[in-house]
Amino acid sequence: MNLQFAKQPAYWSPYLAGLAIGLTLILTYYVMGHGVGASGAYTQIAARMLEIEAPVHAQANIYLRRYLELGPLAQSWIVIEMFGVLLGGLLGALTARRFQFQIERGPGVAAEDRLLFALLGGILVGFGSRLAQGCTSGQALSGGAVLAVGSWLFTLAFFLGGYLFARVARRQWR
Amino acid sequence: MNGPLVPNEILTPEMGLAFALIAGLLFGFFLERAGFGSARKLTAIFYLQDFAVLKVMFTAVVVGAVGLLLLGGAELLDFDLLAIPPTYLWPQAVGGLLIGLGFVLGGY
Repeated sequence: MNLQFAKQPAYWSPYLAGLAIGLTLILTYYVMGHGVGASGAYTQIAARMLEIEAPVHAQANIYLRRYLELGPLAQSWIVIEMFGVLLGGLLGALTARRFQFQIERGPGVAAEDRLLFALLGGILVGFGSRLAQGCTSGQALSGGAVLAVGSWLFTLAFFLGGYLFARVARRQWR
Repeated sequence: MNGPLVPNEILTPEMGLAFALIAGLLFGFFLERAGFGSARKLTAIFYLQDFAVLKVMFTAVVVGAVGLLLLGGAELLDFDLLAIPPTYLWPQAVGGLLIGLGFVLGGY
């Protein structure tokens, strides 16, 4: 594994990358008064999609209606920011010549299984981030930087969850 | 200039939306440079093989916290106008656990 990563020298030192992300956080708080996020964008997009498919049902759902009342997706801060994240990630991969189509997985796992696990993991992360009102971006990073008590609890629970269940998923990655 | 700029109406909400793209571009680019475009690198922390996730995350949080504190101390940033995530202990604990589980299964 280390050998494989050693072939990609363009990764920054984690401390340098952390410094850069920390400065981005400060700038975002300084301009907007809030930090960065990710999962909220998916919720807004999901609420809009449900509205297209089943408008009455979407409006009757108190939770989703709150997201619908935030206005159009093109004027949503977090949706635009997430679009920027995708673009920034793509730009980063292209400039480091790392861009490639692949289904990253451990050597003993079929691509179909990997995708199935990705879907399952995505559902859990999606539900968990709505429960916690944020994910590793909104809670761990942004909430962590303003020393929010619940965000720190979230971060501890996140690492605990990862280590508790790492065994079940080992074959996926190693 | 007194921050936060958009809540203080120094910048318009429209400028805030334009800034969203810039913030996202920076965030996404730095995450990629950290190696977080790779699900195997992301999950490696849970197999004790690569602690980049911990190093990047905590460096960012500490830099962010210290930077915000300094801006506040210099009276360049009004803490009362910052959105602090509210505390809901059980939802945040259970949500964090579920995301930890989803993270190792899905690789984010």
